[in-house]
Amino acid sequence: MSTAAPSRQRVARPRPARLSAVDVIRVGGSGLRSRPVRVFLSALGIAIGIAAMIGVVGISTSSQEELDRKLDALGTNLLTAGPGQSFGGDQAHLPDEAVGMVAAADAVESVSAVGRVSAEVYRNDHVPEEQTGGIGVYAARTDLPRTVGAQVVDGRWLDAANARYPCVVLGARAAAHLGVHRADPGTRVWLGDRWFTVVGVLAPNELVPELDSAALVGWPVARQELGFDGYATTVYTRAEESAVGDLQGVLGATVNPEHPNEVQVSRPSDALAAKQATDDALSGLLLGLGAVALLVGGVGVANTMVISVLERRAEIGLRRSLGATHGQIRTQFLCESLLLSALGGLGGVVLGIAVTAGYAGYQGWPTLVPLWATVGGVAATLVIGGLAGFYPAVRASRLPPTEALAAG
Amino acid sequence: MTPPVVELSGVSKTYGGVTALAGVDLVVRRGELLAVVGPSGSGKSTLLNLMGTLSRPSCGTVRIDGHAVQELSDRELSALRASTIGFVFQSFHLAPGVPAIDAVADGLLYGGRPRGERRRLAERALRRMGLGHRLHNAPHQLSGGEKQRVAIARAVLGDPPLLLADEPTGALDSRSGAAVMDLLHELHRAGTTVVVITHDRDIAASLPREVRIRDGRVERDSGVPVGGAVGG
Repeated sequence: MSTAAPSRQRVARPRPARLSAVDVIRVGGSGLRSRPVRVFLSALGIAIGIAAMIGVVGISTSSQEELDRKLDALGTNLLTAGPGQSFGGDQAHLPDEAVGMVAAADAVESVSAVGRVSAEVYRNDHVPEEQTGGIGVYAARTDLPRTVGAQVVDGRWLDAANARYPCVVLGARAAAHLGVHRADPGTRVWLGDRWFTVVGVLAPNELVPELDSAALVGWPVARQELGFDGYATTVYTRAEESAVGDLQGVLGATVNPEHPNEVQVSRPSDALAAKQATDDALSGLLLGLGAVALLVGGVGVANTMVISVLERRAEIGLRRSLGATHGQIRTQFLCESLLLSALGGLGGVVLGIAVTAGYAGYQGWPTLVPLWATVGGVAATLVIGGLAGFYPAVRASRLPPTEALAAG
Repeated sequence: MTPPVVELSGVSKTYGGVTALAGVDLVVRRGELLAVVGPSGSGKSTLLNLMGTLSRPSCGTVRIDGHAVQELSDRELSALRASTIGFVFQSFHLAPGVPAIDAVADGLLYGGRPRGERRRLAERALRRMGLGHRLHNAPHQLSGGEKQRVAIARAVLGDPPLLLADEPTGALDSRSGAAVMDLLHELHRAGTTVVVITHDRDIAASLPREVRIRDGRVERDSGVPVGGAVGG
């Protein structure tokens, strides 16, 4: 500076102009417009990763939502109690008065029971004995549907009158196995070496799936005709929602005060939730795979950007000759990388939502993609785009203009 | 008094031991039209890069429009190029698929003017070059001569005081080449300082001033301007 003649001092130093945001995006996008196929393929890599992650989160959330709605409908206040093993290891049984004891307990809304009958049921009397189809015969109390929430889809439920006669109500799977589609006076099944008339068919019930493959007969007829010992094997209890936990703790002692440890108490809605939890473990694994796909997509973007910088040395040189600063070249390539990733990210979000909607629709679930997953997905792609584009952008900006121009 | 557009004094440039330019003195006054001519390897491209502030001298001083290049940061040099220097290249440097009007408008991209104004100026420049019917054509739809006229329009869009043309006719047939040279003459008449770098002696001889370069030195300068007190 000191060597400059005084007359030169008044020359103002040149100052670079700033590019407007629109120009930054336009210039960043110009590199993408001229190579659509490559842009599509490298954005696809990102899109697949994001779609996989959104899909996993979406499907898992949708399935959770479906479970929540189902539990809302079924209720989480059903408890079951059944005989476990006695101290000596023999099969225990519940006392005669079990149902009455529970009914007398606090906070119980309703109670009912079924008892296993050692008889088998067949479509007709020609079916070989061993082909039981896994259908169990149970004596059922007439108040069973109200307690477990069973729905009769055809015919009617057992009542005080027909419970004395050879009448049977079939669970959904049992009906299908026995070839019963309608309950009418002419429909009979061969049960315990005699004909029983099918008076009703139940809808599938997820809370008590054991009833789906059951043939239910009246308590009196089971005792009289099928050699039933009269002991309940499962006591179903509906409790007040707020007292379910407390009741679960004391139900064993209520059902069988002498041997509470011989009673197995469970809450069927817990089993459904537990199934969901195992799905969550699988979701975690799939989410990890999605993250790997996303990472690979990011490497693809970095690769594309490195090649792009190599190929466009002449363009970089030209832009430098037109007055672009280091920083403006760096911004251009960083912006290009971000646009490329964002394109993949948005495509991935759309794809992920489509996959979720498709799968949920197929399963009959509500479609639910959490907002955090969508926002997080796009944010992740921007981070990846920034990381992937950083090195190529710095390289582009460091390229000496003369060398860049010589490449053209 | 306005300073000379280009003022080189004792300028040398070495690339890892190889001397490309050795002690060149050169003054280009405002409104001149001159040729820098020399065989390949003579150092004329190095001279172009120094005049264009695309590289810095190893020693000596380069002043462009009064600015001493060695005193300016890279950012300031970029700004100087944006406002003061227009480049025309032998290979046009037009991006594939970009319409002429946008390519030309990019000539002012880094000058801080809004896009609408850039495009308006670009359209006017192209019409002035006789390319009013080619505004929206991509490079592959243009002839070589038309491409070079588009590139010239881009270079002079912001009315830079200095236009550097590196072998502007090198990739053209003689008729298109002549048309491009006519255009440069026209710009010169309109007041632009034009420096043409070429190996073609005929082209060089057709210009008012001819600077011959050989082995990194000025071999002959047909018109050292009167009062050019630099060098010695």
